[in-house]
Parts: sequence; structure tokens; C-alpha cells
Amino acid sequence: MSAHDHDKVWPTGLTLKEAEEVHSYLIDGTRVFGAIALLAHILVAATTPWLG
Amino acid sequence: MNNAKMWLVVKPTVGIPLFLSAVAVGSFAVHVAVLSNTTWVADFLSGKPLGAGATAALPLPADGTAKVAFVEGGAAAIGQQVLVILPDGTTARAVIGAPAGSATLN
Repeated sequence: MSAHDHDKVWPTGLTLKEAEEVHSYLIDGTRVFGAIALLAHILVAATTPWLG
Repeated sequence: MNNAKMWLVVKPTVGIPLFLSAVAVGSFAVHVAVLSNTTWVADFLSGKPLGAGATAALPLPADGTAKVAFVEGGAAAIGQQVLVILPDGTTARAVIGAPAGSATLN
């Protein structure tokens, strides 16, 4: 990928750098959601008959 | 950032709501499935101790067995009506009669 491609505005109106920034927020959000969900599922597994 | 390039061809204003909606619908469906296939969530929400549902869900006795409900504290007497739960779940009323060859009940 050349330097020109790095500044290219793609059909969505984003450059590669902007797309990576959007993606980083999505990944961060997914990680936080996953961590909270994991904690919630551990608590449910420990305190209810879930999973027998 | 493996998949960041998707935002070069998928508008974030479309892709992000779609992604979040998929997560929401998926997790909602899983929780509805747990609610509708177990008894302990309903037990918890109605204040019963967890696990009480297991005893309430005992299988019916073998075919042909009927259950009779008694009113606690009331002595069964000749002529008294009792509620009978038939094997298919329907109810009927039965009247207590003296056993053959016996003059009294008890």
C-alpha cells in the first residue's frame, strides 16, 4: 500500500487511518462488553442452577 | 487491526448499528430461550428458593393413577367430596363412601 493509498478517501468517505480509528473504538467496546458479560456469567454460574 | 478496512467499504453509520443490533438480538434470544426452558428463573422472580421448581416438576405417576387432594385439618367423612386430579390433568369430584365390608371410615 503506497503513501497515496493512505490518504485515499474511500467510498464510505473514510481514509484508512480513519477506518482504523473507528475500528479501534469498536474493538474497545467489544472488549469492555465481553469483560462485563464474562463477569456476569461467572456470577450466574456460581449462584444459580444454570448449567446444572 | 485485522478488519479495519471493512469501514472503507461499509459505512460506519450502517455497520455499527447493524453490529450492535445483532449482538442485542442474539443475546436477547439466548436469554428468552433460558427463561422458557428452565423453571428456576421464574422461581427466583416469584420469591421461591432456587431449586424449588425441581420438586414442583415431578413427573406424573404411571398412567392410570389419579391424585386426590385433601383439605388439611378437615377429617374425611362419609359423603365428603374430594377433588380428584386425573392422569390427563383434568379434575373431577368424587364422594367418599364406606369401604366394602366396613361401617366406618378411618
